[in-house]
Amino acid sequence: MTFKLGGFVAAIGLTAGLMVALPVAAQAAECGTDKTIDIAEMNWPSAAALAHIHAIILEKGFGCSVEIVAGDTVPTSASMLSKGVPALAPELWTGTIQDAWDKGVAEGTVSVAGVAISDGAVEGWWIPTYVAEANPGLKRVEDLPEYWELFKDADDPSQGRFYGCPPGWGCEIINTALFEAFELEDSFNLFSPGSGGNLDAAITRAFVREEPIAFYYWGPTSIMGKYAMTKLEMPAYDEAIHACNADPACEPKGKSAFPTPPVIKGVATWLLGEAPAIADYLKKSTLTNVEISRMLSWGDENKAGARETAENFIATEADLWSQWVPADAAEAIKASM
Amino acid sequence: MFPEIIDTRPLRRWVDDGLEWVVRAWGDEFEAAAQPLLFLLNSIQRFLLWLPWWLIIIVLVGLAYAATRRAVLPIVVLIAMIFLGLMELWEDSVKTMALMIAATLTAIVFSLPVGIVMARSAIVRRIVTPILDLMQTLPSFVYLIPVVMIFGPGKIPALIATIVYAAPPLVRLTDLGLRLVDPDVLEATQAFGATPRQRLFGVQIPLALPTILAGVNQTTMMALAMVVIASMIGAGGLGYQVLQGIGRLEVSRGLFAGLGIVALAIIFDRVTQAFGKQLQERIGLSEVGK
Repeated sequence: MTFKLGGFVAAIGLTAGLMVALPVAAQAAECGTDKTIDIAEMNWPSAAALAHIHAIILEKGFGCSVEIVAGDTVPTSASMLSKGVPALAPELWTGTIQDAWDKGVAEGTVSVAGVAISDGAVEGWWIPTYVAEANPGLKRVEDLPEYWELFKDADDPSQGRFYGCPPGWGCEIINTALFEAFELEDSFNLFSPGSGGNLDAAITRAFVREEPIAFYYWGPTSIMGKYAMTKLEMPAYDEAIHACNADPACEPKGKSAFPTPPVIKGVATWLLGEAPAIADYLKKSTLTNVEISRMLSWGDENKAGARETAENFIATEADLWSQWVPADAAEAIKASM
Repeated sequence: MFPEIIDTRPLRRWVDDGLEWVVRAWGDEFEAAAQPLLFLLNSIQRFLLWLPWWLIIIVLVGLAYAATRRAVLPIVVLIAMIFLGLMELWEDSVKTMALMIAATLTAIVFSLPVGIVMARSAIVRRIVTPILDLMQTLPSFVYLIPVVMIFGPGKIPALIATIVYAAPPLVRLTDLGLRLVDPDVLEATQAFGATPRQRLFGVQIPLALPTILAGVNQTTMMALAMVVIASMIGAGGLGYQVLQGIGRLEVSRGLFAGLGIVALAIIFDRVTQAFGKQLQERIGLSEVGK
C-alpha cells in the first residue's frame, strides 16, 4: 500500500513534463494512434526504469510518438482518471487509491493492462539479517518490545525507534494502526522519516554501520536488493482487519500482515481501444521481482539513471522483451540500439 | 552536446564510497558532536510545551505591543495565535517555533563573529562570500541526505539544514552593517584613543545593530521557510502537516498548516522588524541630540 514520495515534485513534474527527444528510426509494427502516448515516470527507481523501457519499445518498435512525464501515485492516477493523460502508468500501486481507481475502471476511463510485477511485490516490517542472527528470539513483531533497547531512539533514549512510513503514503495509516494493534506505544516511538529519501538514508546508515534498525520497507527496490534483511512475522493477512487498518476512522485496529500489494500497469482506456497492438504488448510485458531487482542493482552499481538502466536492459535482456513484441518490432528495436 | 571526455563514474563512486566510509568510521563522533544542538532544541521545545498556551499568547502579544506601542500588531498576533490554536495546530506550531528559535540562536552565535571578521578583512570576505552563496543556493536535498547519513536521522540533521540555509543573510548583513558605519565617527573614536576592541563593541556594533537586526529578521524568516523541507527528514511540526496534506491530497490540511506557517512568519517578522525600527529611531535621535 505504498504511496511514494514527494507529492509536490510530482505535481510540478506532471505539468512540466519531460520531452524525450529521440530521432524516429525505421518503424516496423503499427502504433495505431497518432496521439502522443504520455508515460508516467514515477520517482522511484523500478517504476522510472520501467517507464523508459516501455518508452523505448513503443517508440522504436511500434513507431509511436512517446513522451515521458514525471509522476507520482496520487497525482498521476487523478490525472488519468479525469483527463486520460498520462496514457500509461507502468507501475501503479493501486492500494492507496483503490476506491477511485475501481470507480474509474467501472466507468471505463481507465483499465488494468496486466500486473507490473508478475510474482507480486513485498511489503512488511524488517530488521537487518545480522540483527536477526544475533538475536534468535526476535522473530515476530510481538517480540519487538522485549528487544526495544537494541533500537534505542536517539531523540528519546527511554524508548526504541521504529521507522514507519513517510507522511502521506498510504502505508502511513496502516503502519500507525499496526503499531497500535501490536501495542508498541509503551516501548517504541513510531518515527516518521518524513520522506522516502530520508528513510533510505536512515536504512543505509544503519546497514553501513551494522547497527540495529527496525523499519517498514517494500520491494522490489534497490535497497532491498542491496542489503540482507529479514521480515518480522505478523499474523496472516486478513482482508477485513487490513481494510479496517487502512481506514483511519475504523476501530478497533487488528493484527494482520500486509497483503501482496496490487501493482499494475494502469492505462487510459482510449489507448487500448485505438491501439490494439499496444494493448497486446502491454498485457505481455511483465517482469518478475528478481528480474527487476537485477536491473536495478546494475543501475545502482554503474551509477546509471533510469534511461541508461532501461537502455542496458534492452541491450542485454533481449530474450525477455523480444517475447513481448512481434518479430519485426523486435528487429527494429535491436537495429536502433 | 558536450563531448564525453572522461568517465565520471569512478569519480561518483569515489564520492559515494567516501561518504560511506565517513559514516562507518566517524558516525558516532559526529553524532556526539551534535548533541549540544539537540539538547538546545529539545530544551526549547520542552519549555515552550510546558508553558500554558495563554502565557505564550500573552508574551507574544506583549512583545508586539512593546515593539510598536500601537494596537494593530498585538491584535494581528492575537488573531494569528488563536487561529493556530483553533485549527489544532498548537503543538505543531510550538515544535516549529522551537526549531526556528534554536536555528536562529545557533545562527547568531556562528554568524556574528564571522560577519565581524569579514568586515575587517578583505581576504576573509573573498573566501567566505562564495561559501555563503553555496549555502544559499545548493538545493537542500543534496546535503540533507548525506547529513542524515552522517548524523543519524531525526532532529539534528533538520536543525543543521535549517542553520545552513538561514545563517548566510545574518553573516552578510553583519558584515555590511559594520562596514557602513560612518568613517568620520570611527576616526573620531580613534582620535579619542579608543582601543580597537572598544571601537568595535562601543561604536561599530551599536551603530550597526539595526542592520544586524534586519539580518536576524531575515534568518528567522529563512528558518521558517525551511520547515517543510526540515520535516522531510523527520523534524515534525507544521511542515509535517503540510507534507501529509500534499501526500494524501487533503488540500485543507496542507492549506491550514501552510497558513499556520504564514501566521508564525508574520508574528516573528513584524515583531523583530518593529524592534529594529525602534532601535533605528533611537540611534537617529541620539545623533540629532549630538
